[in-house]
Amino acid sequence: MADLTPVQIVRNKEKRQQFTSGSSFLKLGILILFLLVPFLFPSFKTVDLAIKIVIFALLVASFDILLGYTGILSFGHGMFFGIGAYCVAFLLEKYGSPSYVNLVFGLLSAMAVAIVLALVVSFISLRVKAIYFAMVTLALAELAIVLANKLSHFTGGEDGISISMPGVFSVAFNMGEFMGIDITGRTVTYYFILFTCLGLFLMMLRFIHSPLGRVLQAIRDNEQRAVALGYKTFIFQTISITFGCVSAALIGGLYATWVGFVNPESSLEVMAIMLNVLLMVIIGGMGTLYGGFVGAAFLLITQTFLPDLQHIARDFLPQATFLHSVLERWLLLFGTLFIMVVIFFPKGVIGSVQDYISRRKHFYAQRHN
Amino acid sequence: MSQIATRRWSTEHTIVAVAAILLMLPLLRIPVKIYLTLTIAGLAMGMLLFLIASGVSIIFGLMDVLNFAHGALFAWGAYVGFSVFEWLRKWVEADSVLQNIGVFLVAILAATAAVAVLGIILERVIVRRVYGNHLFQILITFGATIVLVELIRVFWGPNDEVMSVPLTFQGNWDIFDIIIARYRMICILIGIIVYAVLQLILKKTKLGTIVRAGVENREMVQAMGHNIFLLFTGVFAAGAALAALGGLSMSIFSLQVYPDMGSTYLLFAFIVVIIGGLGSVTGSLVGALIVGLSYNYVAYLVPWAAAGVNILIMIVILLIRPTGLFAAGK
Repeated sequence: MADLTPVQIVRNKEKRQQFTSGSSFLKLGILILFLLVPFLFPSFKTVDLAIKIVIFALLVASFDILLGYTGILSFGHGMFFGIGAYCVAFLLEKYGSPSYVNLVFGLLSAMAVAIVLALVVSFISLRVKAIYFAMVTLALAELAIVLANKLSHFTGGEDGISISMPGVFSVAFNMGEFMGIDITGRTVTYYFILFTCLGLFLMMLRFIHSPLGRVLQAIRDNEQRAVALGYKTFIFQTISITFGCVSAALIGGLYATWVGFVNPESSLEVMAIMLNVLLMVIIGGMGTLYGGFVGAAFLLITQTFLPDLQHIARDFLPQATFLHSVLERWLLLFGTLFIMVVIFFPKGVIGSVQDYISRRKHFYAQRHN
Repeated sequence: MSQIATRRWSTEHTIVAVAAILLMLPLLRIPVKIYLTLTIAGLAMGMLLFLIASGVSIIFGLMDVLNFAHGALFAWGAYVGFSVFEWLRKWVEADSVLQNIGVFLVAILAATAAVAVLGIILERVIVRRVYGNHLFQILITFGATIVLVELIRVFWGPNDEVMSVPLTFQGNWDIFDIIIARYRMICILIGIIVYAVLQLILKKTKLGTIVRAGVENREMVQAMGHNIFLLFTGVFAAGAALAALGGLSMSIFSLQVYPDMGSTYLLFAFIVVIIGGLGSVTGSLVGALIVGLSYNYVAYLVPWAAAGVNILIMIVILLIRPTGLFAAGK
């Protein structure tokens, strides 16, 4: 048998450690935690927070495929998210009726629209420089909001569309008690979204660890060299963008099934969604996929409990009016945090931790030699 | 040699002819008088867009930085001007051309100076750390936008405010039944002056030569012994000042200031620079006029399509000439 190449040795080692390393137990633990949330914390606020963390973590991961693994910044990710939400809403409510078939068709049509749009956008904007992509997607996303507001007979305008879910997903559904809590339609929807997201996340992991994913990382790190090696970067970038955008559309559809309504403000607004997604991806760490969970958890938990923080500040420090006005403008804090993280921790939480662990491993390995 | 010259001449002729035909096209559906009014409105809007787009374009051309914070600087310019107008309310409301122009000039000076300082701080503290990395530039200037817009909300409050117009700037001239709003003519005048001054500086002075050389080859300019980083700061400040002038003029044009106004016009600026070519001042002017005119014509003919037509033009340009109409540095 021929000697293994260094790459193969590393791969084999990774494979052996896949299910025994500390991080894999951590991942499993987090998964079990999310599985148990409806039983441990049955209050609506916590369940809502948990599923929103999952949804946004997935959205951030799909964004990370573009930003962290392909090196392309898209401001249209919120638009794809919104397209997914609207497709589901159209088929379940506006132009259809709540049924399982329509739910599946809604998600499928969302993905189909996203594929077409992503291909068109990347064909238009990637031909010159990757930064054109940022500008063109920003323009298109802005256009999407205007259209959603203006074409009100088609999209429901600013009021949006309320969705009612079919059968076991509907709010009225109740299966009786199980282990001390009511199994309602919300609980079923929670697990439906959780398992779809889990499947999607595993697909993303597979995508970035495939040979294709490695080519994408090569393009991100040095596009000229990738071209010189004979890779048609345009095609690879297009594939990556399409995959990321389709995932975003699917997640948008799932989001719509959870919140039960879509309107331009909640599902399409570039600034609101893109700002959250960018903050989450930067805080969690670009190019890690798992960073999405850290970023989403941090941001959503902070946003949920920020009003309490403001009350505390008002109760204990009634004189500090400047502090109050700053706390009311929480975006100012997040914006400053964003700049700080970009300057000082460009790898985010997960990236920095990974760096620290690998440095320590390296250090111990040297000492043993 | 002469052959090449004639050929180039004839392409320019074709471009002018095509442009003229395109300009005349709306006449098929619009009465002449309304057409002229719309044209003036479009030119005024185009000139204001030129003010913000030229800054984006020059900064990208020279420094290779795509400045997403330009919209926030634009809004800051508008708000500083708003404060000056509040402060000198008597002059704004006075029925005297001299006092009105005086307060307008004071507002311009204050806005450009304040925002230029802001631009210098921005470049020195934030942008300088991420030269050479497009991704981080966009991210960090986007972060700067959030902070700057939130600071506007902290200082001036989160609500829309009505921008007052100097008394003699209000009203219209009526020339042979063609209604011409006075302030639109002032906007066109500002645009022409700024374009002329920019061209003079870029073409006739040593500084302009260095800037144009920097657009073509940064390392070579550095090798010739010029302090390119000082130049960067200066150009960034100049771009910020142009954005402030644009923001002030635009807020008087649209009669309001609001904290998020930057993002709307930054979008227009991006469309303009994509059409005109990133890094070209003349391209910004042409692109801005195209955007301003087409927006006004379409808003009259098919109101709901006004927001889409510019994006459509941008897509067409990207398809037939991905680098924009004009080359960088021209």
